[in-house]
Amino acid sequence: MKNTKLKVASFLLVIMTIGLSFTSLNKITVKGSDTMVILSQKWAEVYMQKNPGTTIQVTGGGSGVGIAALINGSTDIANSSRPMKASEVEKLKARYSTLGVEIPCAKDGLSVYLNKANGVSELTIKQIGLIFAGKITNWKEVGGVDAGIRLYGRESSSGTFGFFKDNVVKTDYAPSCQTLPGTAAIVNAVKKDKFAIGYGGAAYAEGVKDCKVKKDDKTPGVYPTAETIKNRTYPISRYLYMYLKSRPTGETKAFVDWILSPEGQKVIEGVGYFPVK
Amino acid sequence: MKKTILFFLLLIAYIGRAQTVSIDSLKESVDEHSMKFAGLDERLSGMESDLAKLTKIKFSGYLQAQYEMYNYQDNIGPGPSTTAVPIKNSFYIRRARIKLSYEPTTGAVFVIQPDYAFDKVTLRDAYVQLNDRWLQTFKLFMGQFNRTSYEVEFSSRSRELLERSRMSGILYPQERDLGAKIEADLQTKYEIPFKFQLAVFNGNYGVGSLTNDLRDVDNKKDVMLRGVYSFAFPSKGLGIDIGAHAYLGNTTVLQAGTFSDANNKDFTAKIGDSFQKRWFGGEMRVYYDFLGGMSLKGEYISGAISGEKGTTILPVANSNPSFNFNGIRDFTGFYATWVKNIGKSNQIAVRYDSWDPNRHLSGNEVTIKEDLKYDSWAFSWQYFYDDNVKIVAGYSLPINESSTKVGGNFTKDVLDNTFTIRIQAGF
Repeated sequence: MKNTKLKVASFLLVIMTIGLSFTSLNKITVKGSDTMVILSQKWAEVYMQKNPGTTIQVTGGGSGVGIAALINGSTDIANSSRPMKASEVEKLKARYSTLGVEIPCAKDGLSVYLNKANGVSELTIKQIGLIFAGKITNWKEVGGVDAGIRLYGRESSSGTFGFFKDNVVKTDYAPSCQTLPGTAAIVNAVKKDKFAIGYGGAAYAEGVKDCKVKKDDKTPGVYPTAETIKNRTYPISRYLYMYLKSRPTGETKAFVDWILSPEGQKVIEGVGYFPVK
Repeated sequence: MKKTILFFLLLIAYIGRAQTVSIDSLKESVDEHSMKFAGLDERLSGMESDLAKLTKIKFSGYLQAQYEMYNYQDNIGPGPSTTAVPIKNSFYIRRARIKLSYEPTTGAVFVIQPDYAFDKVTLRDAYVQLNDRWLQTFKLFMGQFNRTSYEVEFSSRSRELLERSRMSGILYPQERDLGAKIEADLQTKYEIPFKFQLAVFNGNYGVGSLTNDLRDVDNKKDVMLRGVYSFAFPSKGLGIDIGAHAYLGNTTVLQAGTFSDANNKDFTAKIGDSFQKRWFGGEMRVYYDFLGGMSLKGEYISGAISGEKGTTILPVANSNPSFNFNGIRDFTGFYATWVKNIGKSNQIAVRYDSWDPNRHLSGNEVTIKEDLKYDSWAFSWQYFYDDNVKIVAGYSLPINESSTKVGGNFTKDVLDNTFTIRIQAGF
């Protein structure tokens, strides 16, 4: 009798454990890219108004942090301003036996911020790269006044850091590049410093001026505007992504579908980014 | 009237003075605070600089503590178990490792990973990794690191089952070796999902004594090659990795004696003779996003392995603890693993693996236990408690070939099953 009870208890325990793992509350966690925090919060806010039974919790931390959280199971959706790395896909394969699901959800241009008092207003991608690599250190080398260039950038966990490094700097950042936690902090630093230069999402450029970016010496400089980012004539533009460990189901699927719907995509322009469709 | 005017003049003068005093003290206070902020700023920059150096050092590690129940022959489990005092169950620390990696500049990494046991500390990984900064494709490793095999490189902290297949344990004892490796990953730069590895090793790690592990015991080096191509079909939630690898090495005889060749014929070998260790393998893994993730992994290896029997005579022989006899053998081995994720926190896995150390003999033709074939089942259920902790329950069921000529316990399947409950904590 005692044995039977023990067997029944063990069986129930197993069933409960497995059953609970399938239980999904109407709570979605979103973590990752700081660039996408405002956009993601806006999506969550509008969606929750329309679906009062759903709770969506949005936090930043950087693309790398979001993807790490997706891999270790502490978030449902990882926001990332760069594509997932092959090494991260390998970790997803090892942990969940899936390749992950990539959803491009918005387009963004990376602005190069300059102080409004800075005489320089146009740079080639190569010059920007050399500046952030520490090879060009004085504004006079790029047509400005004789003053040292002060660099502001993002932390290494940021997707913006990675994207800018891979596509513009193409080597290590200069050790003198001061890392700041978030694009708003970079904008603030450049606003206060006449000889500063920084980078970040085009949506954040308030109180600073956007630098015109030239693909090379022969092409004209282009401002990061809605049109130039959408038609990809602005040279430093990118997709913003949401990543999931596997194909979404339930409330997560409804939220993702809504983001990709005309209604969700409409929210994007209000925040300063650009729809994918 | 005059008095009133005088009163107002005095009042204005007083207010004016008060304002002057107030503005002066305010300026003084602002200056004082500005200086304090500048001082703090300076201290903060210093701290930031120190912190930036510290972020280049990364620690990771894991601990595997487990409880095992044995269904061994006469209930004699591993370790100090004897017929007189049979042990049916035991607590056991399987792994206690801390890995330290330091990346002073992008692309240069130093890694050290000791393994802690209650009576000793051994060095598992110790290597320098240099990433090519121009093509972003090649990586050079030098030192002591994992051999280039999928099962070996798949860390035991991530593995779905409690132990690697029998084949891996025999072909790659202790997993590591001393040498150099070049890895090419064409994904980052060229978006071609192909990875290639070429490694040169001493080839005697994990065989013989610890002294044999320190340096090479002969002038010949063992070579490993491995290539894997990854197909991805994102719209179908499907990924397929297909690869092949080769091991081209040798065993140098350190103790003269009678050896048996691949056709089971005895011959005499002298010190310095060299026998082949040469095998080729194919591997495939399928990942499918079916109800939360599922995978099927398999590997097949065939070739010739050679080894020496361990004795107490010096110099210490090249004895692989799992291929511990004087011989050369044509072998085949494979495994197939099925893994299914259930929700976010649970995973089940089943593996069937086979190791035939002598494919020319079977059943009662087999005369020594080292030639017996093993087919093994392994089952596991993993529960991911949180980001750092997982609980694993597993059962392993090796089934050996039986032979009346080998005799003893091997006239039937030996009892050697193990049930394990493991708690793994990692950081």
